[in-house]
Amino acid sequence: MMVELDTLLDELARRHARGEPLDVEGTLARAGDRADELAPLIEAFLARAPRREPTAESLAFVRSLDEPPLLRARVAKSLKVDDVVDVIVAECELDPEARPKVRRYYQQLEGGMLDPTHVAESVWAAITRVMGRSRTLLSAPSGPAPAAAPMYRADALVVLDEQLVSRAAPEPRQSDIVDALFLGEPAD
Amino acid sequence: MSDATRLSMRDARDAEDNRLLENGEIQLLLSGWVETIRDMCIAKMRGPIGEDVGQAVCERLWRELKAGRHRDGRYPFRVIVYSVIRWVCRGWYEPGWQESELFDLDGAAPDETETVIIDLTLEQFVATLPPGDGEIGALHYLEALEPGEIAERLDKKPNAVYQAISRNKGRLREWLEE
Repeated sequence: MMVELDTLLDELARRHARGEPLDVEGTLARAGDRADELAPLIEAFLARAPRREPTAESLAFVRSLDEPPLLRARVAKSLKVDDVVDVIVAECELDPEARPKVRRYYQQLEGGMLDPTHVAESVWAAITRVMGRSRTLLSAPSGPAPAAAPMYRADALVVLDEQLVSRAAPEPRQSDIVDALFLGEPAD
Repeated sequence: MSDATRLSMRDARDAEDNRLLENGEIQLLLSGWVETIRDMCIAKMRGPIGEDVGQAVCERLWRELKAGRHRDGRYPFRVIVYSVIRWVCRGWYEPGWQESELFDLDGAAPDETETVIIDLTLEQFVATLPPGDGEIGALHYLEALEPGEIAERLDKKPNAVYQAISRNKGRLREWLEE
């Protein structure tokens, strides 16, 4: 049943006065096909209503803005690194043996040590799905813009034991596929 | 409550923002805006994508604050906030906009001058109500009392309070449409 806009606005104003979350999304949903009519009124209300005191959660959120966005999103979702790695391995259809390497690469990506633009779309699709955030937000720099172009240290830091093994097999190995997924190198 | 007092409430909030800005308490300043930013973005974007947009707004503001911007007090911080919200929401779906501009501090910046400084407050709405309804409106919207509590406080019949609240609902909407 669709609720009158006057009532929805009244309820919103009362939640605001009580210091409760406003649930704007739920309020718009209850307006049904009149959501477009209600939304500007909610905006007007927010612009005119007294600003509330910061909460512990909002302060914690602002403090986290200096952390890498991937790490921030993962912590917000209460996910472990292994949870994300499991999703990447599954959605990119990788063999279980590739998992340790995926984990290392993911941690470098999360720590800002891997160029996010080189990471394959399929990996980002898995990450964005499990994080519930867009790629733009997850791969944005967290601090002030650097004075010079960022220097990604993947080549220097990633000394993987797989590279020491001679490549006798003609078919691409899982490790090479993982390299391609995270470094953008061809899997040949 | 006089008009001067109500205006001073808004001015006091602006002054508090300025004080936090001048003292470099930028975490506290922005954290006071996080909920409003998120809610306004959800309203503007008509759904949960507003969470992402709100986060982008906070990130942009945070980077600007850390870079020492807006300390000149040229505009109240709330004007900066509304300006960035409008700017991010407007550009969100433009191809390439997010990558090229959103996080580039030296790139295109929102124009604060295009945002009308909002001088209206909820307290002022209550002040526009007729005396009897205004008294009830203040307790209803500013102090969040329940109708029964309002009736008791003002020594009125509950039915009279409900009728005033009903009238005020329509007035609130009309006021927000102005």
